[in-house]
Amino acid sequence: MTTGPLKVRRFKSETPPDRKFKVDDLLAFRRGRGDLAFSIFIALVALFFFVSFFFASGWDGRKLPDEMGTYLLRQFGIIEGEGRLERLGRILKQGWVAPAICMAILVPAAVLNLRKSRITHNWRRRFKQPVEMSYEASKWLSALEFVGWFIAYTLAVPIFGYLVSTLVFGTALPWRMGYRGWRWFSICLAASFAIVLLFRTGLQIKTPVNIWLYSLLPDGARGFMLTWF
Amino acid sequence: MEAFWTGLDAIAQPSVLVAILIGSIGGLAIGAVPGIGPAIAIAILLPATVFLDDLVSLVLLLGVYGSSMYGGAIPAILINTPGTPVNALTTYDGHAMTRRGEAARALSLAYSASFVGGCFSICLALIALMIFGPYLRNLGALFGQRDIFMAAALGAVLLIVAHRRTMGIATLLFALGFLIAMVGRQSMRQIDRFTFGIDYLYAGFNLIVVIVGVFAISQALFLLTGKDDDPPEARLKGTLFRGFAELWRHKIVAGISACYGTIMGIIPGVGEFVAQFFSYSTARALSKEPARFGHGSPEGLVASETANNAVPAAAMIPLLALGVPGEALTAMMMVVFFDAGIKPGPDIFENNPDFLFSLFIALLIINVIVVIALLFSTRWIAKIIYIPNRLLGCFILLLSFVGVFSIRNSFTDCMFAVGFGYLGYILRRLDWPLVPIVLGLVLGSIMIEKLSAGSSQIKTVFDLVNRPVSGTLFAVICLVLIATLVSALRRRNTLQP
Repeated sequence: MTTGPLKVRRFKSETPPDRKFKVDDLLAFRRGRGDLAFSIFIALVALFFFVSFFFASGWDGRKLPDEMGTYLLRQFGIIEGEGRLERLGRILKQGWVAPAICMAILVPAAVLNLRKSRITHNWRRRFKQPVEMSYEASKWLSALEFVGWFIAYTLAVPIFGYLVSTLVFGTALPWRMGYRGWRWFSICLAASFAIVLLFRTGLQIKTPVNIWLYSLLPDGARGFMLTWF
Repeated sequence: MEAFWTGLDAIAQPSVLVAILIGSIGGLAIGAVPGIGPAIAIAILLPATVFLDDLVSLVLLLGVYGSSMYGGAIPAILINTPGTPVNALTTYDGHAMTRRGEAARALSLAYSASFVGGCFSICLALIALMIFGPYLRNLGALFGQRDIFMAAALGAVLLIVAHRRTMGIATLLFALGFLIAMVGRQSMRQIDRFTFGIDYLYAGFNLIVVIVGVFAISQALFLLTGKDDDPPEARLKGTLFRGFAELWRHKIVAGISACYGTIMGIIPGVGEFVAQFFSYSTARALSKEPARFGHGSPEGLVASETANNAVPAAAMIPLLALGVPGEALTAMMMVVFFDAGIKPGPDIFENNPDFLFSLFIALLIINVIVVIALLFSTRWIAKIIYIPNRLLGCFILLLSFVGVFSIRNSFTDCMFAVGFGYLGYILRRLDWPLVPIVLGLVLGSIMIEKLSAGSSQIKTVFDLVNRPVSGTLFAVICLVLIATLVSALRRRNTLQP
């Protein structure tokens, strides 16, 4: 029997070493920059609605038993009481109950989230990880430009009609994003026209009816444009 | 059996078959483009389908829902970018196989695994309907208002618990969605809740406005403020027809993963990620080569893709049986059901059994169409993964207008939708989950309605849980909460928050 060097087929990974894999990564989450600021904002929103709850939820018109503490103890059968127990359903169907349940979840969740976010923020600072939110804030602000585009498009449709507005915005916005030249212009124009054909001409979805541009057209053309575009 | 044939007859209509075909191929393309997921596509298409026939609109959206995950595997395997979020795990093994020149093998294995996962849960649902259907007709009598209330509460708890690392945030966003559901005039008592004298708010927020804003507009803003990817050109060599033969070698992994996908799909609020998590971990534990997982293991690819695709059909079950959607996509489907005049819930087994068969038969056909289409056209579909992200963002923004405006011709709807979109954009930037907002809105509405409707039956708090179904569901809620609390206490002593 000959003995030689043991040949072991070694497994060689095809994945680069910077991609260490764990199945837990699927559910991974890290609070990043901007988390604290947004958590503060959400906590303020929760506070606003909590204050509003007392005058904007039907709370002021509530109908509750005279001694609420005793009533609840009787509800749970902890104490025996005299007389008929008023149905809990009479309370549950009052308008303020659902907002009260919502506030009972929202406010503690907002406070706990704020606390957690602050702890993470301090942890990041302690271990010299970036905490400034200027980059994140710049991203949030830059999105406002496109919110403006959407609003402008929405306002343009009743003036110029769905067809013209879609063709203009469908080519102008890509141009703004850097897709310039005749090739991109043709692609975007064709895609915009296809959207109008599919949704307005084909599926007949509702679009504004009082369109300024169409009112300048002769009757026949106006009717045609209103029906199909 | 009569319901089965009636359901099949309804599906055999030419318009329905065309809708299935368009939905399947469209969903495939939508899934294959990184940046558009089924949620965005369905959110945009939802208002447009109001103008179509009931079953036509439903199967169209089902096509998108059922086929997008197949398409999502293509960029995940070829360019390491998941087409839909649930294909993230596919990148680990699928793309590693591409890197060693086995792209065609990975794709064909992914398709066959997806097909098996999808068909497994659909066939299971169909068989269950055939066997238990006649008995389920009395299910409506078992489920009262309080039972549905408790089922919705369980859905909410499971949804939050399923967000393991972001449970606090999921609770907060769920409550925010619940708050959005609350806004408006309560019709019975004429009480204005959080309307602040604004006329628009008296009618409350429309679900589609919130959905389009949170999913579609936010994604458009996210893409527009980001950068275009520059993916490497993928080379696809070899045949795609060997997947099923190879899958047979991994039949145990495929079977277990399909079971996980089906079970996790049935549980409201859980969905694909948890199904993948369990199936992948189990497959790794059973494997003779666990070290290969994450580095191009065919078993890993089979586990993730099978589990993914078993979920959509299974996720329809809680929606249909209880009227409680377990995820964002089924919540959107619920809107279509209502438009079609079909109220999901226990009564559906009595009132529309044929509709149930139509639905699952349609899903089966969708799976067959998609796998055939993929086997013959992957090389062409693979080209659309290179559409620039920011260009997609431009057109998602334009399409969102159609989606919102067509609901009730309201510009105010568009303004609120863009407001929700901006909120969703910030949430996406922070990596906060979006689904709890929408499910908070949907499940919150259900809970309010059922609690109010069942209030005449409630004398004491014990009346909420003294029925067999509501009592069982309440016990499950308590068990889930206790298990979560114990798990959280165990994890408490970690250095990093």
